[in-house]
Amino acid sequence: MPCILFEPFSRTPDFLEIMITKQFKRHSVLPGFGLTLSFTLFYLSAAALIPLLTLFWRTSAMDWASFLRVLGSPRTLAAFKLTLMTSFLSALINGAFGLLVAWVLVRYDFPGKKLADAVVDLPFALPTAVAGIALTTLYAPNGWFGKCLYKLGIQSAFSPVGIVIALTFIGFPFVVRTLEPILQDLDVEIEEAAFSLGAGRWQTFSRIVFPMLLPGLLTGSAMAFARALGEYGSVVFIAGNMPFKTEILPLLIMTKLEQYDYSGAAAVASAALLISFILLLAINFLHAWSQRYQEV
Amino acid sequence: MNKSKTIEIQKARFSESPWIKRGLIGTALFFLGIFLFGPILVVFLNAFGKGIGPYWRALTEPAAISAIRLTLWVAAIVVPCNLIFGLAAAWAVTKFNFFGKKILLALIDLPFTVSPVIAGLIFVLLFGARGIFGPWLQAHNIRILFSVPGIVLATIFVTFPFVAREIIPLMQSQGNEEETAAVILGANGWQTFFRVTLPNIKWGLLYGVILCNARAMGEFGAVSVVSGHIRGLTNTIPLHVEILYNEYNFTAAFAVSSLLMFLAFVTLVVKHWIERRSRKEYCGL
Amino acid sequence: MSIEVQRIVKTFGSFTALNGVNFRIAPGELVALLGPSGSGKTTLLRIIAGLEIPDSGTVLFDGLDVSSRKVKERQVGFVFQHYALFRHMTVFDNVAFGLNVRPRRVRPSQEAIKLKVFELLKLVRLEGMALRYPSQLSGGQRQRVALARALAIEPKMLLLDEPFGSLDAKVRKELRQWIRELHDKLHMTSVFVTHDQEEALEVADRIVVMNEGKIEQIGTPDEVYHHPASPFVSHFLGSVNLFHCRLEGGKILFGNAPADSGKTEGKQEARNATVYIRPHLLDIEYSAPANGNYFRAKVKSINAAGPLVRVELTTEWDALVQVEISHERYQYLGLKKDAAVFAIPKEVKVFTEDYSI
Repeated sequence: MPCILFEPFSRTPDFLEIMITKQFKRHSVLPGFGLTLSFTLFYLSAAALIPLLTLFWRTSAMDWASFLRVLGSPRTLAAFKLTLMTSFLSALINGAFGLLVAWVLVRYDFPGKKLADAVVDLPFALPTAVAGIALTTLYAPNGWFGKCLYKLGIQSAFSPVGIVIALTFIGFPFVVRTLEPILQDLDVEIEEAAFSLGAGRWQTFSRIVFPMLLPGLLTGSAMAFARALGEYGSVVFIAGNMPFKTEILPLLIMTKLEQYDYSGAAAVASAALLISFILLLAINFLHAWSQRYQEV
Repeated sequence: MNKSKTIEIQKARFSESPWIKRGLIGTALFFLGIFLFGPILVVFLNAFGKGIGPYWRALTEPAAISAIRLTLWVAAIVVPCNLIFGLAAAWAVTKFNFFGKKILLALIDLPFTVSPVIAGLIFVLLFGARGIFGPWLQAHNIRILFSVPGIVLATIFVTFPFVAREIIPLMQSQGNEEETAAVILGANGWQTFFRVTLPNIKWGLLYGVILCNARAMGEFGAVSVVSGHIRGLTNTIPLHVEILYNEYNFTAAFAVSSLLMFLAFVTLVVKHWIERRSRKEYCGL
Repeated sequence: MSIEVQRIVKTFGSFTALNGVNFRIAPGELVALLGPSGSGKTTLLRIIAGLEIPDSGTVLFDGLDVSSRKVKERQVGFVFQHYALFRHMTVFDNVAFGLNVRPRRVRPSQEAIKLKVFELLKLVRLEGMALRYPSQLSGGQRQRVALARALAIEPKMLLLDEPFGSLDAKVRKELRQWIRELHDKLHMTSVFVTHDQEEALEVADRIVVMNEGKIEQIGTPDEVYHHPASPFVSHFLGSVNLFHCRLEGGKILFGNAPADSGKTEGKQEARNATVYIRPHLLDIEYSAPANGNYFRAKVKSINAAGPLVRVELTTEWDALVQVEISHERYQYLGLKKDAAVFAIPKEVKVFTEDYSI
């Protein structure tokens, strides 16, 4: 009889569930709390938390002197600086063009709009390695875009410029997809109110619309920035990977691993993770801030 | 009268001068063309540049076949695991209120902030020759790193949030009332889930699964760290692409890439289709 | 089936939703839980259904303690405020759901389910809608589907959370009468939650008036309307004029004239009191009556739209008083703005600070 199978799940709450119910869970008539939460926690711990903890455990096993020696070495510092700079630049570019594309996609009608809208998500769906070789082919000295850019004196591949291009590609959807719903929900009446009070088009945008978009714009850019910090696949092909010049952090970790310098790799990774976590906190605050005008 | 007024208002809203409007659209399309359509074209032009023969040969050589087979295997293990995790996590988080829920939600997002290289690194630190379990594994002759289990673990780490992330907002917006009604009407837990919850989230769930699958098949950084690049044994499609590219075998590299590009297209099309569908469906309620 | 709740206490964090609630509902009764939002009425309904667990207190069905019973074992029919229809199922499947999910050994045959569902759809007058989806129905129709769905499991009682809350005014009125008729047909113990006093007065056999987690009064519509037990009840049920005054020796000092409070008993010392008079229980005259209570006032405004004429008076002590008189009376008096008149209360209700007379 099938229902016997279901009994433990639907009727008798197990010991764990009783404990949990009494302690920290609001009552609900829906079943499955103990089962789903314990599975979620188990999976999360096994797949992510415990492996991540080994990273910090490994790092904490180092003494301070060697930890600082790894982080303070010119090569590591150069990689940190390059990664932060290129990520920041790509986030800036994505902020500007993301706003433009989101605006155009929401506000205007033009032929090919649906295609343009669909293709915005491409960097999310396309494996980074493919993006990497495609971008490298495009921007190499003999590539379609590379040819023009080299003539203008811009070294578009195997240089920091190339890194920025790759990072801009992979971070592009964040700003557009964050801004689109906000733009769609913008109350027409607010803009009309501004018009009726005598504001011009540009004034309405800069004083009314833009401030309302700003939190979303910052959130989207910060997300693109965070993604760029850790990006590896699309960058390795186009960067050239020269130590001190075009070596990004993930690549440095990779190099240390290949030299069996586990502790060094762990140290750099911990520092990089710390930056990411701080950024994540910042994004969360930004998000909370962007909701502040929202009625509850 | 009311209607004509709204139309006028709509017009007032889009009242940039046509030139500014055209300029903005043009710039946006230029940007999209360079950044998004450029790579698409490059992949296909290079893949088919030397005709269909070399393209087909690149896909059917033994190393390519084994890379495809390994990738499919990994996806076949990873995606169901992440699907079950996503459903369990979404049920726990959206149907109940408990202490620490926000922390749990933040933890689910964790892989988004961890570089794929670091995701690979942590498994090397765990299972590598000088890792925590390394000596024990070696003594018992179990291979995790540089073999399939390592690739699966690294891929799971990178892709586990995708299903959960797709359905949690959906289930949140749908609330608990329908499930509560089902329980009052006598349904048990599984009946409530399969008959009430699942039909309501099926499209979002499908997209989550497809996105998770695309990411699992395309994961490069993490897999690159743990795989060991053994041809015919531990190469997935993206790793195979890298090897071909580094050997200056561009046509083959792009030919294999085109497979992943197709996968990306399928993902985008499904996403678009589901968005249209869910907009049409149930909009009255 | 009778429902009894005893000493129910329920808190959410620091908010006390229910603070020691007791009452009993007789079998076959239709009872309204009436109160403003935050009064705890919905929480009480959910506790009866088993959707919430009280901090303390018991729920009895037919004298049996069901506090520890799970929702599905209580066999209640519950209609949600927003209906909670399964949006991906047709009307038929919605109604049949409760039967289809039964364990195989107690599940009726598909034929029997079909018969039952169509019988219910006939009862709620939706026979032709069986294959529609909820999104294709109007609000009132959805409400009736929700009702049919709840009835399909042959519940021992029917619990309705704000059943008319999300409908427009006209449909509300129709559905109100219909629910009353349905109840007279089925005679199932039913409880519904509402914040609309008119709804409660029209539909219910008895009304439980709640405020801030406590029961203010339980009684028939007639009792709670004409004999409110507390200032809150008289306020909440219909409009009322309020006067602050002194109570001395069983008399209230009311404007200029001392008025008889009706009873002289117990405490004789002077105390503050509040007098409530409903607008339709005030009459207007041009001369003072020979005996009884009255006070002087001036006509401030007149609104003759509607079934009654609403007159606003300004008293000598500068308070505003609402009076409702019939159109005939209004025509007979020939009232004009600023006319000096006497207001004569036909019935007053006096509440002192801790007891009412």
